[in-house]
Amino acid sequence: MEVDIQSLETFNQLAYEGSQQATAMLAQMTGIQADVEVTKITLMDRDDIGEELAGQSFVGIGFDLEGALVGDTTLVFEEACTGPIVEALPGGAAGDELVESSVEEIGNIMMSGFIDGWADFLGATIEHSPPQYIEATGADVLPDADDPNEQVFVFKSHIEWPGEDLHFYIYMLPAYDRLTELMADSGTGDDAVPVDKLSMFNEMTKEGTATAAANVTQMTGIETDAEVTQISFAPVEDVPKQVDNKAYVGTAVEFSGTPSGYLMILFDEESAMNVAEALMPMEPDGEGFTDMHESAIEEMGNIMTSGFIDGWANVLETSVDHTPPRVVHDMGRAIIDPLAAQVGQHQEHAFIIESHMQTDDLEFGCEIHALPDDAELRQALDDLDVARKDETEPDVERIFE
Amino acid sequence: MSEVLIADDSEFMRNLLREILEEDHQIVGEVENGVEAVEVYKEQRPDLVMMDIVMPIRDGIEATDEIKNGDPEATVIMCTSVGQEEKMKEAVKAGADGYITKPFQKPSVIEAIEDAVGA
Repeated sequence: MEVDIQSLETFNQLAYEGSQQATAMLAQMTGIQADVEVTKITLMDRDDIGEELAGQSFVGIGFDLEGALVGDTTLVFEEACTGPIVEALPGGAAGDELVESSVEEIGNIMMSGFIDGWADFLGATIEHSPPQYIEATGADVLPDADDPNEQVFVFKSHIEWPGEDLHFYIYMLPAYDRLTELMADSGTGDDAVPVDKLSMFNEMTKEGTATAAANVTQMTGIETDAEVTQISFAPVEDVPKQVDNKAYVGTAVEFSGTPSGYLMILFDEESAMNVAEALMPMEPDGEGFTDMHESAIEEMGNIMTSGFIDGWANVLETSVDHTPPRVVHDMGRAIIDPLAAQVGQHQEHAFIIESHMQTDDLEFGCEIHALPDDAELRQALDDLDVARKDETEPDVERIFE
Repeated sequence: MSEVLIADDSEFMRNLLREILEEDHQIVGEVENGVEAVEVYKEQRPDLVMMDIVMPIRDGIEATDEIKNGDPEATVIMCTSVGQEEKMKEAVKAGADGYITKPFQKPSVIEAIEDAVGA
C-alpha cells in the first residue's frame, strides 16, 4: 500500500489542529493559555511508545475510538499540573475527591475537540468510549500493547504551559491497517511512499543503531541498552524541537547518495566527556574539554555515522558517502536548526530518523538524528528489495579474494 | 623494520595507529588528507600505507588509485569506518591490498598487515 507525502502532511495537520482545539477548550474552561509545541506522526515499535515520559508521574484520561478511526487515544498532564488546572476551573479549589472527576471532565472536553476535526475531515462519525481516568508513571499511562514488537504509527502532540514549565501530551494510536487505508484513500498518488517499505527501512535503521551501539561498546567498554529507533514526519519548522534544548557535543555530516541528507551524533556534555576519556589511552593535557577530547568525539562520531548508514547502502546495493565529521558543541536546537533550514529549502515537511541509546544508570546517553531529503528517501524505498532486507553486512573476504 | 605512512584526518586515530604500529614498524609520516598522502608517498616510498577513506580535500580511494598507478608495488591497506560493500569494491578497484573496518583491535591490524605484505 502506498501513502503519499500529501496524506502524511494532511493527517499531521489534523493532529496539530486537533491539539490546538484541545488547548483552546482548556483555555475556555480554565483560562490557561497553553501552546502546542510539537505534533508529529511517528512509526515505531509499539513497545517503545512513551519512552520520553520515563520517570515522570501523570494523570489524564484514555478512551477507545471506533467508527471511521479505530484505536486508542490518551491525554496526560504532568501530575504537577493537576492542582493549578482544577483550581482554575469555575468553583475550583476542589478537594482531592473531586480531582479525578475534574480531570475526567476536562480531558473529555479537550479530547472531543481533538477528535472532531478528524471526523469532519473523514466525513464520518468517530465514536469514543467514556473516558477512563489514568494515574500512572512513564509509559504505563498508555494502553497495553497486543504485540509489543509490532511497528505502529502514533500521533504525538507535546503541549507546553509557558511560564509554568508544565507539559501535557496527547497520544493517538490508530489501528495500523485502518489508518494506512485512510491515508491511501485520501492521497492523490503523487509522491507516494510504500508504507510497508517504510517499516522495513525502520528495521534496517534499528540494525544500524545496534551497530553504532556496538561500536561504542567496543571502543569504550560502555554497554548501552534501551535503544529506540523511530521515523517521524513533521513540519520542517518543528524539526529543531525534536532535540532537547540543552548543550550537546557531537558530530554532524552531510551524506550523499540514495538517500542523501544530514546526520548528527549527539552526546550530552557529561556523556561526551565520559566517552572521550574512555577512548583516550592517556590523561589529557589541560582542563575541561580539550582538543584531544574533541578529536576523540570526532572519531567516535565518524565510526558511529558509518555504523548507522552502511546497512542502508549494503541492502540497497549502492554507496552512501558522507563528509568528514564536523564537531558541534552547542545547544541542541542551535545545532540542528541550520541543517533543518537546508532541508527546508526543498520541502515543507521532513522525515526525521531518530535513535536514542543510553545505559540503565543514565550515565551515558547518545542521540542520532538523520534528516533525509524526502525525494531521495522515496527513491531509496522504491529501490528497496524486500528479499535483501537482512543483507546489512558486507562480505569482506569474498570482495578481497 | 618496515616503514609505514599513516593517512587519516583524525588526530585521535593517527595517535592510536601509531601506538599500535611503532613497536614493530617505523612511522615515516602522518598526513590528514589524500593529497598529502600521495605527496608523502612519492617522497618517502614507504613499505606500507594505512589509508582512511573519508578525508577532506581528497578521499583515500582516489589517493590509493594514484599511488598504485605510480607504483603498482605499493602496499595500501584501507583503514576506515566505512563498511559498505560498494565502497570496498571501489577500494579493490583502486588497488587496495587490505581493508580494516574501525573500530579495530590491535590483532586485526597486525593480521591485515601480515596478509597484505605477504600477498
